[in-house]
Amino acid sequence: ASTGGAPTTTSTPGDLAPNRSGRRVIVIGGGWGGATAAKYVRMQDPAIEVVLLEPNDKFISCPFSNLVVSGVRSIESLTFGYDGLRKQHGVKIMRESATAIEPDAHRVRLARGFLTYDRLIVAPGIDFQTEQIEGLAAAGDRVLHAWKAGPQTVALAQQLKEMPDDGVFVLSVPPAAYRCPPGPYERACQVAWYLKTRKPRAKLIVLDANQNVISKPALFRAAWQAYPNLEYRASNKVVKVDAAARELTTEFGDKVRYDVANVIPPQRAAAIAVQADLVGVDKRWCEVNHVTYESVKAKDVHVVGDSTIGIPVPKSGTVANSMGKIAATAVVNLLNGRPAPEMPPINTCYSWVSDTEVMAVINAYRIDSGKVVQIEQKLTPGQSALYAHHAEAWATSIWADILA
Amino acid sequence: PVDTPGFTKAFSCSACHGSAGAARADAVPILAGMPAWYLKKAIDDYASGRRPSPEMEPFSKMVTTLGVDDVAAYFATQKREASPIKLDRAAIASGRTAATQCAGCHGQDGRGDQAKGTPPLAGQPAGYLLNQMKLFKADKRSPGDANLTALKALMKGVDDPTLANLAAYYASLGR
Ligand SMILES: Cc1cc2nc3c(=O)[nH]c(=O)nc-3n(C[C@H](O)[C@H](O)[C@H](O)COP(=O)(O)OP(=O)(O)OC[C@H]3O[C@@H](n4cnc5c(N)ncnc54)[C@H](O)[C@@H]3O)c2cc1C
Ligand code: HEC
Ligand code: HEC
Repeated sequence: ASTGGAPTTTSTPGDLAPNRSGRRVIVIGGGWGGATAAKYVRMQDPAIEVVLLEPNDKFISCPFSNLVVSGVRSIESLTFGYDGLRKQHGVKIMRESATAIEPDAHRVRLARGFLTYDRLIVAPGIDFQTEQIEGLAAAGDRVLHAWKAGPQTVALAQQLKEMPDDGVFVLSVPPAAYRCPPGPYERACQVAWYLKTRKPRAKLIVLDANQNVISKPALFRAAWQAYPNLEYRASNKVVKVDAAARELTTEFGDKVRYDVANVIPPQRAAAIAVQADLVGVDKRWCEVNHVTYESVKAKDVHVVGDSTIGIPVPKSGTVANSMGKIAATAVVNLLNGRPAPEMPPINTCYSWVSDTEVMAVINAYRIDSGKVVQIEQKLTPGQSALYAHHAEAWATSIWADILA
Repeated sequence: PVDTPGFTKAFSCSACHGSAGAARADAVPILAGMPAWYLKKAIDDYASGRRPSPEMEPFSKMVTTLGVDDVAAYFATQKREASPIKLDRAAIASGRTAATQCAGCHGQDGRGDQAKGTPPLAGQPAGYLLNQMKLFKADKRSPGDANLTALKALMKGVDDPTLANLAAYYASLGR
């Protein structure tokens, strides 16, 4: 496989790697789920060729990126290369986007041609339903989501810093299901912490489309006791953005003026999954087998991470990493004529409620009659600096688990 | 070895405990090279709630459903590499002196002793060790456990700076 680079002018798009002898797995997306899957296929069967398609040359972690918004961490500290996958594990990485999937032909299309596979793992994450909020597309860079870590994260931190000392920051939370259930509330903590310490006259308004804080409500509400500058409004779905007037409109017609608006739009599985019709009737999420992660709609195509629905797990990085391992194991076994072992995923979400304190939710599962069911959900008894150390340990370990 | 049943049953643990249990962070224990009997006891203590941990209670219940023997055997056969976290030389030296009171149960080199129920301390991250000692001191790890009365009584008599030195000393062993 080539390494991408400048587009060439090949007139007849064709097989980009035609002389293939062994078995090949293609992975679409080098994020939490896909990069993990690529590594774990190679770890368990080095005879399988693994091609990872990812348009970005760096992995930037969404987890901990709310700390970049508040200036507690740098984006560089969350940015990693793909050399480990390439050099330690022999994953072939092409810096390209998949443009289409052809399950019947076992092909993935790229801009310049196609690649064939024996099994495909689709892990493209989410895309935004920007069209659901009037004026949001037109607002462009003036109204950010910062819900994919990267330039928007840095730009939002800058907007916060430059906000007037008595300004109003409005954070809009989308209706479930969306990436990282506690994420918006963690962001609220970080913004409120920043304002409390740097701009004590400023204010944060959280407009939540949901009826209540949808993850760890008691722990977040306890954490917010420290932030009298935070005003939380449940059942306040934002339907319109007027970037010129700096005003948001909720579905009940309330108008909220802002100095900085951080609108997290409603979400669905990333475009490639929708175009390939891996999504259900809602046209949003992909249903999969709970043991193999094979799509219920396309044979030999597996889906992991935030794009999936139907397994009783949150859309988290821990879950995507876990699914990546399990799907990789299923793929290796199936390609070797063995049944896939039944493995449940795990979940942990640590949330930073200030610059030094963290609380968490933990979920364990088992497989019952071929379905994932929860054994137990536990919360930390409160927030503490000790859990912040655990969170750091988790991050160090899981980033290495994905990429090293 | 990736073809053992333990590999698949233990791979979720690497999200926090590092690749094959070789934790490189300061706050979580290294599982690589942990004796099977001790890992099983720890899982049992967490699963029953005797040793409180919001993270490990659910995962221990999961391990129990998957089969703790495979998981324990997998980690026991991984080679332990000591924690790489930087340590203070003076703290190590002071800790070495203070550790004479621990050797009776944990062995001269912190290798642990199944007969006494003690795990190896050598090479574990200092941050993890120190926190466990503080939990013993406050009777928050396995509270009320009659088998740990002597250990906890001993810990109560040791001041926190000395505990930190002891943690540094045991973390430094096996480097
Ligand atoms: C602010 C914030 C905080 C969070 N905090 C936590 C946390 O503390 N803990 C936690 O567990 N989770 C957290 N999450 C959630 C976590 O980031 C996601 O659940 C996780 O990234 C999902 O992994 P994924 O592989 O599905 O998608 P991603 O990690 O987004 O990866 C998808 C990849 O696919 C690539 N891609 C997309 N389309 C194509 C295509 N057509 N061809 C090739 N490549 C493509 C993308 O470039 C991307 O790299 C947080 C999220 C946010 C936004
Ligand atoms: C989300 C993070 C996380 C995950 C995932 C996790 N652990 Fe832990 N583990 C911890 C923390 C934190 C501690 C320390 C808890 C305490 O203070 O007792 C710990 C402690 C332990 C201990 C005690 C070791 C000792 O020296 O007493 C064992 C054994 C253990 N874990 C095994 C496992 C196994 C097996 C798995 C996977 C099935 C696993 N852990 C998954 C966070 C995690
Ligand atoms: C009377 C016996 C005894 C003495 C003396 C003793 N310990 Fe222990 N220690 C134990 C036992 C038993 C355990 C295992 C507890 C369990 O199973 O939960 C233990 C566990 C520990 C642990 C937790 C290890 C882990 O992996 O979680 C640390 C740390 C520790 N001891 C440090 C010390 C230090 C430091 C001293 C001396 C100051 C000391 N101990 C003296 C019996 C002892």
